[in-house]
Formats: sequence, structure tokens, C-alpha cells
Amino acid sequence: MKKIKVAILGSGNIGTDLLIKIMRSPLLECSLFIGRNLASPGMMKANSLGVRISDKSIDAIVRAPDCCELVFDATSALDAGRHWAILKKLGKTVIDLTPAKLGVLCVPAVNLNDCLGHQNINMVTCGGQATIPIASQIAKIHPNVEYIEIVSSIASRSAGPATRLNIDEYVETTERALAVFTGCPKTKAILILNPAEPCIDMQTTISARIKNPDVSKLRAAVTQMAEKVRQYVPGYQLILSPTQDGDRLITMIKVQGLGDYLPKFSGNLDIINCAAIAAAEEFAKKKAPEK
Amino acid sequence: MNSIVRQDCENALAGKTDLLKALRNETVLITGGTGFFGVWLAEMIAGLNDKHGFGARLILMARRPNLLYEKAPHLAKRKDFTVIAHDVRTLVELPAETSFIIHAAGSPDSRLHASDPLQTIDVIVNGTNAVLAAASRLPVLRKVLLVSSGLIYGAQPWEMTAIPENFMGSIDCAAAISAYPESKRMTETIAAAFRSQHRLPIVNVRPFAFIGPYQLMDRPWAINNFIRDGLRGGPIRILGDGTSVRSYMYPSDMAFWLMRILVDGTPGRSYNLGSPAGITLKELAEKIAACFPNPIRIECRFLTNEIARRSRFVPDISLAGNTMGLAINVDLDTAIRRTILWNQTARPAAETELIDDRV
Amino acid sequence: MNATDTANKMKKILINDPTLRDGNHAVKHQLTARQIAAYAAAADAAGVPIVEVGHGNGLGASSLQVGISLTDDHLMLKTAKENLKRAKLGIFVIPGFATINKDLKPALELGADVVRVACHCTEADTTQRHISFAREHGKEVYGVLMMSHMASTETLIDECRKMESYGAEGVILMDSAGASLPADVSEKISALVENINIPVGFHAHNNLGLAVINSITAAQSGAAILDGTARGFGAGAGNTQLEALVAVLHKIGFDTGIDLYKMLDAADLAEKSILPMIPTIKSISIVSGLAGVFSGFARHVERAAAEYKVDPRDIFFELGRRRAVAGQEDMIVEIAEMLAKKKREGKK
Repeated sequence: MKKIKVAILGSGNIGTDLLIKIMRSPLLECSLFIGRNLASPGMMKANSLGVRISDKSIDAIVRAPDCCELVFDATSALDAGRHWAILKKLGKTVIDLTPAKLGVLCVPAVNLNDCLGHQNINMVTCGGQATIPIASQIAKIHPNVEYIEIVSSIASRSAGPATRLNIDEYVETTERALAVFTGCPKTKAILILNPAEPCIDMQTTISARIKNPDVSKLRAAVTQMAEKVRQYVPGYQLILSPTQDGDRLITMIKVQGLGDYLPKFSGNLDIINCAAIAAAEEFAKKKAPEK
Repeated sequence: MNSIVRQDCENALAGKTDLLKALRNETVLITGGTGFFGVWLAEMIAGLNDKHGFGARLILMARRPNLLYEKAPHLAKRKDFTVIAHDVRTLVELPAETSFIIHAAGSPDSRLHASDPLQTIDVIVNGTNAVLAAASRLPVLRKVLLVSSGLIYGAQPWEMTAIPENFMGSIDCAAAISAYPESKRMTETIAAAFRSQHRLPIVNVRPFAFIGPYQLMDRPWAINNFIRDGLRGGPIRILGDGTSVRSYMYPSDMAFWLMRILVDGTPGRSYNLGSPAGITLKELAEKIAACFPNPIRIECRFLTNEIARRSRFVPDISLAGNTMGLAINVDLDTAIRRTILWNQTARPAAETELIDDRV
Repeated sequence: MNATDTANKMKKILINDPTLRDGNHAVKHQLTARQIAAYAAAADAAGVPIVEVGHGNGLGASSLQVGISLTDDHLMLKTAKENLKRAKLGIFVIPGFATINKDLKPALELGADVVRVACHCTEADTTQRHISFAREHGKEVYGVLMMSHMASTETLIDECRKMESYGAEGVILMDSAGASLPADVSEKISALVENINIPVGFHAHNNLGLAVINSITAAQSGAAILDGTARGFGAGAGNTQLEALVAVLHKIGFDTGIDLYKMLDAADLAEKSILPMIPTIKSISIVSGLAGVFSGFARHVERAAAEYKVDPRDIFFELGRRRAVAGQEDMIVEIAEMLAKKKREGKK
């Protein structure tokens, strides 16, 4: 299958990690790695891998619009907004890893096919990617679920200045996404930064308030869903199967990163990247017959 | 149109434009063009061009030029001004016609310095290196003004009423919180190296504290807090016993001084930039409260009886005064009144200094 | 001011009373509006300067994870505000649990006067937005560093400086595990008082029976803010017993502005109508205090100990040795398994 050409906007840790994943993909080819600073570690890494680099930011695509069909935006919410205005006109598909949320929310294990018709796909949050697959199964089996809560613990070292400054934004986006994907009226997301060494993997507890939950049915569905997520997030693990604990149903998952560019303990960042790649690869598959 | 600022510029320039004649028909480039310094310098140059036929061209370089469109659209649209989007850290080439440079890039927001000392160091140190390296290849360069900081002195000893430029000061280089002042100190050393190796004509300026239009009221600095509290109807809260001493320069004085030092400052010299008129925070609060028609209560929140943790931050400006006749023209009372008026009438609506939220 | 005046002027300590917030942990966050009204009024009458109210983990923390409160944030704050005439209404905010839009903003609109923004002692930069927000709205804002025994003095200085730069007007060290000894408190508080420019505070827990003396030591080392709760109301071994603290502070020459008799009355009222029992130092508290481990592990530890037939106290000490923090419950099972294995091998 011929690879489709993709560009990466944003040469920070996220963009660089994406690049490594793309280079492994049988369906994607990174034709342009774009940032603002040629001397940044990401740019130097990309260059050393023989990938074409540019410090012209969005202009690099404007000047050579045929360079790619799909663009990963790993810059910032503000810049993503600016980029989208331009990329929309150029007819590019954008996979947005920033909190900009301009397009459709995408959690591959749940709604990937629905997203393919859209030009702008947003990857929600790390907590969203980790829990929405599971939460959506809970809501499917128990549409009357009253309340869903997720608590994520991530390694302190995996939370950079942007994460720390935008915790509120993370919480609110995750809560809204959970509500959208499950139809549950009340959702809550909690984020805890854990400074323990050695660094912990991302761990998330999902709790739900359900009247008379069918635990065995939930277990089967959740286990199957976890397997589905593992297809694109190899480090995704169900560590506690759905269990009744007092008045709440609780299940726990753990995400260890692949360690491509980001360290393994940054499972929280890795899961979004893996999800983004999954979305892009599906886009590529659907495009293939046209070639 | 921003008539308060325009008037301030005209007052500052009145009868003194001859001192700046070296800028006639020249091309001035300012890095950090959308910041407080950049915007005021732009207003001044606009004044020089419009009222005094200076014919100067201004190039404003900034990471996010759209900030200028939001803060001061009348400046962004000018035909004699060009706005360039560029991050100083990756600067390689400067426009060949540039004859004067004011390097003011770098955020003074202490919250950013605390949360992201690495970015702070990167922008200040690497940015300065890049700008001066690019400047060293300019064919018609006349002068470079490097904006350092009054914070490079470290803590001002209490007994020293005003810090002179030859005070060496001391900063704990091993503390993360020293990232900003240490970076600024480094830029003065970098400037000295460029003067020595590349014969670049660079003069340094060490700004202290300012209050006036275009300054953001959300910055956690005493005078900003007091004015903001006053605008809200009070009470004005002073933390500590109010005996700390500060001084504030009005930005029209600041901008005039910057241009004067750019033109006539001696390369290799560092000049303090600020007001020598020290005032205690308590007196400052009282002055501000008096500017409002309704009575404003002042609260002095002082928790313990130990030696008051008072501090001083006041520059000795005799160097600039003696060598270039620079003086303070706008007194603090006027400065406060103009600032309040501007905040009440002319402040742009979208006024959030963006926090770089890169993924 | 002459020398005599200076000598006679007493040192002031600002007392922050989280009986109705930290105490909520002891009753699984089931404080009622009536209890809040009664105690708030009594504390107010006693001249307590700040009365802190809310779920044990602060605004927006009512959850399955840490417990659902009986009374919602809105009602708790409204009730307290109605019953405070002189005292300021305090709130506790942990970014990650509470957000500005959903929790902090409404609380300020309800009349919260004092905002304490808290984080784990190494994560101060998560508090920037919240401290700035409260400051911009003209509120009294403090930073709180939790589990403060887990960070070195140097780290604490760095973290306090961050909070100071965001606009915090004081920073409080919270000895959440009750692990500190007076010498630790003296060293840390003195270093902070010397190196940061804003007042420093201390919030003790009584796991090792040292809450009052630790608080006194903090005051003598230059702390200007101290926390205490009525009868030490709080989870496990409880907090610093406020009325005892106030009594001692007055005796040694500190001025709190609190009327001792009325403070004792408020504590009597708390004992009668709020505390289900007076906190005592049980074995598990001593062990978690010695181990320096988050007391919230207790339930998980006891369960794992029962399942693997090992001593829960051994699990605690191992958690302490590994410097486990909240969220690492899975480590408990791992440790229990390891201890059980050791036991089996020992028997052979």
C-alpha cells in the first residue's frame, strides 16, 4: 500500500515522538517536520533521521501545499487555531493534539469511523483517551449510569510546564468529552501528579454509580475493549477488572509509554500520540483505493 | 486613537527632538516589539515622524505580532512601521538597512520565570547571542541598546538609598529563581564580548520599575495591585508593614531616555533607567487612594513583629543625568493619575498577555 | 518607637482554623449545614481570624475517590458566611480537584475571603493560575505545600519561591503525615523564613503526639501562621488541638487575637455536637507517622495485610522506605506479596 504523506507541525517532544511512530508506520510517511527553531533537539533528531525539516512554521505548508495530505498539529491551542484557518482552505486533514478542540473529538476505539469524514480531528486529552473506551462500554451496557468519575495519576516528570499551567483545561475538557461519549449527565475528572521515583506509569481509576450493575457483563465488555485499545496503544493494560466496591463500580487501567522519544513513564503523552497515529492510519487506509 | 499616550509623547519630546536627530531617516529595529518597551518606543517614533518629520522607519520584531494588532492597532497599521514575526533565538539575518537596534525581547513576568526558568534562560541568553551575532554583520549599524534589568544587582542593601551602576551586587547563582537576573547579567557579559571581539557599539540599560498606560494590571507587582484594587473600589491591600521602598518611572520618560541612551550612550557603559524618587509602599497606597473620588480603604496586612522584611529597589541615575542631562519630567502623582485615566478610558479589551501553552 | 515599646509589642500569630475542612476527613465529609453554622458562629465569637470550610480535600473534591460530601460546597460556604461576622471565610483549593471556572470563581462570588491553594510539596507550579486568579480578585491568597516532610529544605525553598512569584502572600507547610519532629520543623521553618520574603506557616498533624510542640517550634522559628482544629478534629490521630495551641501561644508571649475562654467554649461545642469521638493516637497512626506515609493508605494496607497474612505495620514501613505517595496503592499489594514470600522463605 502506498504511504500517504503527512506533515508534523510542532518540533517539541510530542511532535518528535510522533515522528518516530510515523517512521514505523506502513501507511504514513513524514514528508515535512516543521517547527520554529532549527536548533531545537526535535529538529536535530528529525534531520539526523533524514526527514525534511523546516523552521517556517505554517508557511512551509503554504509554500508547498502538495507536500502532504494530512497534518499533525502538536503546537499550542492558540497556534492550532491559526493553522486550522489556513489548512482548512488548503483542504488538508488535521489531527489536532492541542487543547484547541476545533474539530470532532476522536477516541479511535470508540468513534474512529465517524471521524473520518471530518477535516479536523481532535484527540481530546490523555485521560480521555485512556478512559472513554472503557466508560463508553459501561454506558452502553448501563445507559442509566448516573455518574462517571475518573482519577488519573501521572508521573510528575511527565508533566511539563504546559500541562501544569493547563490543569483546569484538562479537567474540563475530559469531563465534557466523557459526557459526550457516554451520555452520562454527571462526570468528574481528577488529575494527580505523583513525584515518586522511579517514575510511575499513568494509572487511571474509573468509577461509576450504577443501580444494579451487571458485573460479569461489564467485565466481558471492558476486557474486550481494553484489548481493542491495546491494538493501537500497546502499553494499555487493564489492571483491575470491573468490580463492585461499596456503592461504586470500579475498574483500573495503566498505560506505559512505548519510549519512542518520550520516556516510557510518559504513558499519558504516549497514549494521545498512539491514538493520533491510529486515526491517521485509518485515514490512510480509506484513502488508498483512490490512488 | 490613544490620545493620552500621544500627549505624553509630545510632552516628552517637546523642545528635545534635536537631541534625537541622529535617528532622522534611519531604520530602527526593536526586538520584543510587542512588549511594554516596544509599544512605547513605537508611540514615540510615531510622534517623531508625524509631528517632527523624522522620517524614521521602525521594524518591530516579535514572536507573536498579532499582539500589537490587539494592543495598538493604530501602530500596527502604520506605513512607516513593519512588523516581523520571528523568535529571537533563531534569528540569523537582520534587515540590511538597520542602523539602530533596541534588543528588548524577553518577558519580565516573574511568574513565568518561576514556572519555566529554562525558557526564560533560553530566550534571554540565546536570543541575545543570536541578535548580536546577526547585528555584527550589518553594514550600516550605528548603535545597539541592550535592555538588561535592575534586578541584576540582586537585593539592594537597605542602607544604600539608591543603587549606582558600579555596585556589583550579588545573586545566588545556584537558585532556580535566579534564572532571570543571572540571564540578564549574562547578556551584559555577552555584549562585552561582542564589543571586544566584533567591535560592536553596544550600550546597556538597566530598567527598574515603571507605571503607565499599556502596562498589564494582572502582574503581581505592588503598584499594579494597588491601582487595580483602587479601580475596583478598594480596599487597597499592602502586604507587610508598607515600609518597603520603590520608585516608578512614567513610560514617556522611559521611552525618551531609551532613545537618548541609544543615540548618545557610551558603548560599554550600563545606565540605570528608572526614577530616583523612592517612596514607601504605604505612601504609595495613600497616593493612589487619593486619586479616586470615593474613599478607598487601605489595609496593611502585617503578620509578625520581626524586623520588617522591607526592601528597597531604587536606582541612582546620576550617570545618565550627568552625562546626558536626562531627568524625570513626569512626577509620580501625574504618573498615577494618567495610568488610572488610561485604565478607565483607553485600555484595549483583549488584554491577556499570552501564556505559551505549547503541547 | 523606643526600645521598650518594641520589647513590649507581642509577636502576632495568624491562626487559621480548618476545623470545618480538615475535620471533615474524620467524618468522611459528612458535616451538616447545622454543624457548620454552630461552629462557625462559635469560632467567630472567639475571635478566630480565619475559619476554613469545605470538603477535606477542598473545593470540588467531593468524589467517589476521596468521598462524597453530605453538604455541597455551595451550601457549606453560604452557611458559614452567614455565621461569620468578624472572621474571614477560608477555602482550600487543590488544582487537579478544583478548577477556577467550576469551583473557585463561584466560591469567591459566595464571599470566600481567604484562598489557600495547595499542592504536593514538589509541585508548586500547578498552583500558578489559581493563585493568580484569587489575587486578581483582591483576595487574601496563601500557598500550601502538602506532605512537606517529603521534600528537602532546598526544594521547599524553591517551591515557596514559585508560589511567592505567583502572588501568594504566605506559604504554609503542611505536615500531612504527622511525621515531623521539632528539630525538622525548626530547620525547615527557619530556612524558609530566611530565604523567602513572605510569611511562613505550619500545619501539624498529631500522629506522633507532637502537633502542639511542632507548632510552637514553628512559631519560635519565625512562622507567622499556624493551623489548628477544635479538639484536634481531623482524620486518624487528628490535627493540632487549637485551643491548647492558643493557650500555650498566649502563655509564651504570642498574640493571636483570640479570646481563650470563648475558644474553649467553641471546642466544647465541637466536642458535643460535631466530633463523633476525640481523636486519639492509634497504632496505625504512629506507624504511618513514623513511616512518613500518607494516612489514606490505611484501608488498603489493612486489606492487603489480611489477604496476604502479613503485618500491616511492616507494609507501612516498607511504603515509607520507598517514599510512596498518594496514588500508589498498587504498590501496597506488591509489598504485601513480597513480605509474604519472605515469610514463607524464612519459615523453610
